[in-house]
Amino acid sequence: MRKFHLILILLVSLSCFSQNKQILYNFTSVPQSMLTNPGADVKYNWFVGFPLLSGIAANVGSSGFSVYDLFADNGVDFNTKLRNVVFSTSRNDKVSMNEQLEIFSGGFKLGDWQTNSYISFGMYQELDVLTYMPKDYAILLLDGNKDYLGKVFDMSDLNARGELLSVFHLGFHKKVSEKLILGARGKIYSSVFNVSSTKNSGYFYTIQGTNSVYDQVISANGLVNTSGFTNYIDNYSGNAKSDIMKKTFFGGNLGLGLDLGLTYYPKENLQFTASLIDIGFISHTKEIESYRWKGNYNYVGLTPDFILGNSNDILDEFNDAIPLDTLHTKYTTWRPLKFNSSIQYSFGDGRSSDCNCTGDKENKYTNSVGAQLFAMSTPRTPLMALTAFYRRQIFDSLEMKATYTVDSFSDKNIGLGLSTTLGKVNFYLLADNLLEFKDVSKANSLSFQLGLNIIFPNKNTPD
Amino acid sequence: MNKFFGIFILSLLFFSCSSDLDFDQANDLELKPVVVANLASFDIPANQFVIGGVEQPFVGDVMNFKVFNDPDFTNNLSRTDLYFEFDNTINRAFNINLYFLDANDAILYNIPIAIPAYTGSPNVVTKTEVFENAQLDILKQTQKIAFVIALMPGIPLTDSSLGSLKMRSSATIYFAAQ
Repeated sequence: MRKFHLILILLVSLSCFSQNKQILYNFTSVPQSMLTNPGADVKYNWFVGFPLLSGIAANVGSSGFSVYDLFADNGVDFNTKLRNVVFSTSRNDKVSMNEQLEIFSGGFKLGDWQTNSYISFGMYQELDVLTYMPKDYAILLLDGNKDYLGKVFDMSDLNARGELLSVFHLGFHKKVSEKLILGARGKIYSSVFNVSSTKNSGYFYTIQGTNSVYDQVISANGLVNTSGFTNYIDNYSGNAKSDIMKKTFFGGNLGLGLDLGLTYYPKENLQFTASLIDIGFISHTKEIESYRWKGNYNYVGLTPDFILGNSNDILDEFNDAIPLDTLHTKYTTWRPLKFNSSIQYSFGDGRSSDCNCTGDKENKYTNSVGAQLFAMSTPRTPLMALTAFYRRQIFDSLEMKATYTVDSFSDKNIGLGLSTTLGKVNFYLLADNLLEFKDVSKANSLSFQLGLNIIFPNKNTPD
Repeated sequence: MNKFFGIFILSLLFFSCSSDLDFDQANDLELKPVVVANLASFDIPANQFVIGGVEQPFVGDVMNFKVFNDPDFTNNLSRTDLYFEFDNTINRAFNINLYFLDANDAILYNIPIAIPAYTGSPNVVTKTEVFENAQLDILKQTQKIAFVIALMPGIPLTDSSLGSLKMRSSATIYFAAQ
């Protein structure tokens, strides 16, 4: 029974969501926006993030149901609620969770005031989970097959991945002309653990038979890859905490990645940006344990042989037809690839009377409006999100960005981000799905990001 | 200007509410799937009861049947129905016995079924055995099933006798897991 609880808790807690950071994207007063576009138009002389506080981001989502649907204290029997959730969701509903914690970050400008090349670097830890609703498995678990004669249960409904990894990155961006900024960021991934089971297939059905009561066929092709767990399963005597620390600092399964991005100004007040994040892979070579089951079985039951006595043993038959193998072979996982793009039109004179912007500020415009597109690869169809935004420089030291996002989780996601720079201290707080804050338990997705940096602003004049 | 910031944070905190949630409900979880599956089937033509021109008084087979031995499987068992359906088109009556045997071949349970001879009209016999509560232990100890088919007296069968004795059977397994 504990197994069932674990599955349930996993289902609920993995209610995860996409990694769209629509407020942070191109919010260039926050240095962390460079993690969503290495070619972002971010200028600084140097900056450093407060260790562990410079970038805290969390993002949970569930497209089919909310915490309230399952755990509302409303007198309805939990089993009824669970059934309602299972039967009102589809196999394409997903639960996702993404958490990022910056361990350290910093950046500096290369050369003197006339150059426009910037280095940025840092390290963050990321937890990333995406699981689809295993609908047909849930139906089997809740109801069995008795009332589903003729239904083909789809084994590919099991589709989940989860990973804890740390990322060390080094980025470079350069204003190559008055109109164009190009950037790239190299990444080294160190995976602490990984579970992935995203390419399952097969089916199971029961129909009325003729010679036997039922025709029952199971065809399965499943694979669960894990890395980073095996040491903890049998007779573990080490110290898990120090193990995880070791894996965080390059002791895990390693991988390489690349981010690319650009910012282009066709006109002074018109801006186009695009980025590809996490073009990369992780090669899992250590602490691997994988489980594979593959085969076809047409189950007819016992077939006594009254002449020769060569009757069958159904357990042996099943195990021969669909053997379960434990493998220890290397495997590679691809990082979820993210694509961001934006177009922005700016207006209003930033130096006019409604803003006390002072001379060193480069922003000529108080207001910007625009649209963003986000896409992320998943084991099934890519996640897409479209965002409209409005940015405003409220004071010299306070910038705001409001977003309205439509995606598969919500069609009325309003987000708000504020970034304030007092002296050299920059603090930002971004949150989306603000409408859901009136009852977070009913929210289908929530995300927030916040952080603290010290920024020494860019200088365009010699001291 | 910090006021804006303060108001933003405060509004997030103050306007964010949550309905009452009770995560302990997960302990009320009950899973009650009902699974149907084939149990066994056979189709014996009349002439198979004749060996070397001589009718055999009975035929039988003993088969491994350890499905209900697996504790993961049986711990959450609440009831099992075994359904048998015989269709006899041989002009002879049969007595069929199903024996559930334990690891030492001792008989734990017996299901006797009498099948009348075929006389030209449909001749289907069905039987459902329900195992609940203490009776489930019989299934859990069962390691083998023996089918024994005895021919009742009548006109002897020959190699050219017509008809067959068919059986189809299935299990309906009720789980209750909490």
